[in-house]
Amino acid sequence: MPSTPDALWYKDAVIYQVHVRAFQDSTGDGIGDFAGLAQRLDYLQQLGINALWLMPFFPSPLRDDGYDISDYYSVHPSYGTLENFQRFLEAAHQRGIRVLVELVLNHTSDQHPWFQESRKSLDNPRRDWYVWSDTDTRYHGARIIFLDTELSNWAWDPVSKSYYWHRFFSHQPDLNFDNPAVCEEIWNVMKFWLEMGVDGFRLDAVPYLIEREGTSCENLPETHQVIKELRAKLDQQFPGKMLLAEANQWPADLRPYFSVGDEFHMAFHFPLMPRMFMALRLEDRKPVSEIFKQTPNIPDACQWCLFLRNHDELTLEMVTDIERDYMYDEYARDKHMRLNLGIRRRLAPLLENDRRKIELMNGLLMSLPGTPIIYYGDEIGMGDNVNLGDRHGVRTPMQWEGGWNAGFSSADPEVLYSSVILNPVYGYQAVNVAAQSRSPHSLLSWMRRLIEVRKSTPVFGRGSIEFLYPQNHRVLAYVRQLGRETILVVNNLSGSAQAVELDLSPYRGSVLIEMFGKNPFPRVGALPYLLTLGPYQFYWFRLRRL
Amino acid sequence: MADESILSDDLLRQLISVGEVDVVVGLPTHNNAKTAAHVAQMIRTGLLHYFLRQRAVILNVDAGSRDGTRELVQAAAISDARDSASLHSLRTLRCISTRHVEGPGQATALQIILASTDLLRARACAVVSPASSSIEPDWMERLLRPVCSENCDFVTPIYRRNAFEGLLITNLLYPMIRALYAQRIREPHPADFAFSGRFGSHLLDLELWRNEFSRMGAEVCFTATAAAGGYRLQQSFLGAKGQVEQQSGDLVLAMRKTLGALFWSLEQDFAVWSASTEPHAVTTLGPEYEVTPETVRVNRKRLYQMFSSGLAELEPVLTSILAPTTLAELKHCAASGDDTFQYSDELWVKTVYEFAASNHRNVINRDHIIQALVPLYRGRVHTFLGHNRGLSAQVVEDRLEDLCRTFEHLKPYLLTLWTKQEGGS
Amino acid sequence: MWNMIVSELSQATHELAQEIAHFLPRLLVMLIIALVGWIFAYLAKVILRRALRLVKFDRLSESAGASQLLTSAALPSSTELLCRLIFWITWSGFILAGLNALGMVGLEELISRFLLFLPRLLAAILILFVGMLASSFFSRGALLAAVNADLPSPRLLSYAIRVGILLLTVSMAFEEVGIAEETILVAFAIVFGASMLSLAIAFGMGGRDLAHQFLQRRLSKEETKERKENELSPL
Repeated sequence: MPSTPDALWYKDAVIYQVHVRAFQDSTGDGIGDFAGLAQRLDYLQQLGINALWLMPFFPSPLRDDGYDISDYYSVHPSYGTLENFQRFLEAAHQRGIRVLVELVLNHTSDQHPWFQESRKSLDNPRRDWYVWSDTDTRYHGARIIFLDTELSNWAWDPVSKSYYWHRFFSHQPDLNFDNPAVCEEIWNVMKFWLEMGVDGFRLDAVPYLIEREGTSCENLPETHQVIKELRAKLDQQFPGKMLLAEANQWPADLRPYFSVGDEFHMAFHFPLMPRMFMALRLEDRKPVSEIFKQTPNIPDACQWCLFLRNHDELTLEMVTDIERDYMYDEYARDKHMRLNLGIRRRLAPLLENDRRKIELMNGLLMSLPGTPIIYYGDEIGMGDNVNLGDRHGVRTPMQWEGGWNAGFSSADPEVLYSSVILNPVYGYQAVNVAAQSRSPHSLLSWMRRLIEVRKSTPVFGRGSIEFLYPQNHRVLAYVRQLGRETILVVNNLSGSAQAVELDLSPYRGSVLIEMFGKNPFPRVGALPYLLTLGPYQFYWFRLRRL
Repeated sequence: MADESILSDDLLRQLISVGEVDVVVGLPTHNNAKTAAHVAQMIRTGLLHYFLRQRAVILNVDAGSRDGTRELVQAAAISDARDSASLHSLRTLRCISTRHVEGPGQATALQIILASTDLLRARACAVVSPASSSIEPDWMERLLRPVCSENCDFVTPIYRRNAFEGLLITNLLYPMIRALYAQRIREPHPADFAFSGRFGSHLLDLELWRNEFSRMGAEVCFTATAAAGGYRLQQSFLGAKGQVEQQSGDLVLAMRKTLGALFWSLEQDFAVWSASTEPHAVTTLGPEYEVTPETVRVNRKRLYQMFSSGLAELEPVLTSILAPTTLAELKHCAASGDDTFQYSDELWVKTVYEFAASNHRNVINRDHIIQALVPLYRGRVHTFLGHNRGLSAQVVEDRLEDLCRTFEHLKPYLLTLWTKQEGGS
Repeated sequence: MWNMIVSELSQATHELAQEIAHFLPRLLVMLIIALVGWIFAYLAKVILRRALRLVKFDRLSESAGASQLLTSAALPSSTELLCRLIFWITWSGFILAGLNALGMVGLEELISRFLLFLPRLLAAILILFVGMLASSFFSRGALLAAVNADLPSPRLLSYAIRVGILLLTVSMAFEEVGIAEETILVAFAIVFGASMLSLAIAFGMGGRDLAHQFLQRRLSKEETKERKENELSPL
């Protein structure tokens, strides 16, 4: 266990995921930048978040929205310069906001100088920096991830007249982590940004680093070895920094990425997310309680990362076929909304803009064990545009106000990197920060309050969880505990009022204090504790012995 | 509206925790430890397979079993089926259980199931017999799908039967309901059936729960109510019927359950069946009938003896019930001896109709009227067995069809008797 | 002497006339009371008949088996019988009250004793009636049960039950009206006890082998097999 006082800061964090490009444009070119982002740090501070996850901002041909990096040591000119970034970083730190940088380790853009050199000839020094083959039959056990666009994990390179390996788009060749030079260079990249002051990395696509014949080429022991080495260097040279794994795997397969606390600090709990939506639709706690039963214990210094939505499609890889069909039928009847075994919609449209459902899901996000991540715009209930293709529909400009370009940019609307949402329900005139900031009852105000209550106690971030199983299966109830502090969370997953009797006998004699209004509820007695909840309502109770 | 007073506090609490559902499957039990667990398991498998997305609950209503039936059902209904590795339930599939203190007898259990279905606002409910040892998971589909997807109100089963099994149904109940209610319902006393929520609510409010005969044969009353009330009926082929253990004297009980309830229904539905005309077919999922050619060993001589001695001994009673010509004809037949004795279709139909009319006029105690038919029924069975032994299933079916036509043909005779002011003798 | 006779005669005639003159108004009152009573009784009969028809009393008594009993006794229907009974009871009451008005000594005491006896008589009639109903019902029930269970001599059993219940009923009726109470009671006890004793001896000695065979069959599987052979599942 690390010894520095805030070494486990990530357990108490509330992370805000943002794409620089989408947040605020300060130069009038229609593209968000770091200067603009810096201008909006006050807003983020008021929201209450204390960590920012920046999506890739490196130089890139932008064929995969920045996930195809062509230079790890710089900032894409559209977003500013390294100085801009540094100023932004300092400003964030001044406001107590940590900054996580998203680093794509597994692959680069085919425009990256490394690949350009590698493909030149067989005896180029960087030849082995990528995975080449004369045939496209190797590693046939590996699945194709981008099913809608790719037919193979091998792509033919006409320049070097051989195949190169890519787990994602064909213009994103995989780096060869069997090459120590690659590992060394990746560490140099990380070190570069760490020395600048970033607080951690979200490492993209980590399960696919290493390939071996006769395997699925995912989660291999060699991959874990690469991570361990990176982590060892991090702890030695930059203690207190954090590594967050993006590994879309079953909980049992995710567990090794924590190892004994010598790999990642955090990992996304991918299987939980679709099940939260499923539980809501089914009005049944079973999907959520069952996935937690399958979730293994992790080292004390490690943490799950929870999220509702992000920049990608709502992935349905980690569910059964029956569950996937159900989710498609319930949440994406229009096949246009489906992409790569997922659903490409934002939170509010998925929940039919039902304020109660949005609150409930955010309540779950903030109270289940793990560090919550809020996707930019979801705090005001932003909508999406599925007609923009790929996943661009959920990456539209942030809606700040009801005026020109939603206050995102002074440029002409045609110049914007993406059009703003215009429809009467989710359009920027209806949904924007300015309007919601003025109303104490808006979603934004509510989210601020929610984050405030969440941060008022370390129990949510660091405490244990014990599920209660009342007879009413529409109610998801659990107890969070840390030391002597105990919090009871009760969620009504159904759209109708429910009564529930909870067995709180271990807490007999405690008084329940509702955490938002701070009002006391009756003491826990000998009989089961009866609660009634309105549609989609939830309670957070602090249990106190008074 | 459900009569909540028949729901115990404990059951009510369980129903509240279940909340609104789409499907209820009721399983009434009483000392069925041998078969009930398997039935519960099949129900669960069937629901997981065919109604995965629907909110469902299994409701076990037990009449005070002492052999651990209730516990076995509970365990079977909540555990994963042995061969259902691929069956993963999306939702919580609840199994709730209650006990009623009124002892064996289906009526209270059915009432509880109806009331629970009403309270839970279920769209469909299936009732499964705990003795249905031949049940398959697809029974759930066959019983419930017509209600859920095709807006049927009442689904009765069709079983694969031995030609000589269920003669009370084939020789009396089926043809009589067919003739009078104009619906060809093969199993008017179903052990396994399904109904819609709205039909169930209607059944709850009927007078049948307050009369001893209709309570005993509630299933027959359901069938008659569905036929008379213009509800959408369907039949579904299920397979082999489960066997109930033979008990001495169960023929009298069977008569009370079926005939008693039918006669009661005829009283209630006179306006409907008196005006009905040509019977029409009921929509059927699967074959309309399926007969297995198993041989049956029956002591026909004994049947004849019980018939003729019963006829002789009960003559004072039968005089009040039957017309003099019918009684004389019966005595004449009985006198012909075992080998030549023939209880013709026409005579049988007249017998049954005269019994029905006498029951209507209440010439003697109604239970006595029903008991008095038992020896005559034995005579009819004797004739049926003799005529149809060794014949193909199709021939037997054709003869049953002739019997049905006789029932239809003599319906005016029943109407005449029914509306007569004076007594029958 | 002639004059004395005439005088006595005329005095006696005068006294007679006076008696008659005293009696006639009372007779008139009695007749008026009887007439009024008849009117009341008739009205009561009509109202009761209407009320009983409204509640379908005939139907009720049919189901109880009373109608059949009355028909076989050549009595009118239950409604009619009850109406007539009420008519006569009402009118008899008025007549008795009218007789009282006559003021004849001795008659009053007779009437009062009759009135005291009347309820017991009615109770006895009711007991007899109920008993006859019960004997008919139970004997028929026993007959049917015995026939369907294939017991030997069902008619004998039915008859025995009918006679037994009738005997009991008659004893109770006689006891109610207080006629030879003790004689009837003792006679009933003797007959009943003797019947039971003889039945016990008959079964004990004569039915020994039968009982043995019955138990043997019950405990062995033959009976089950035989029963299965003989009984098809009716449903």
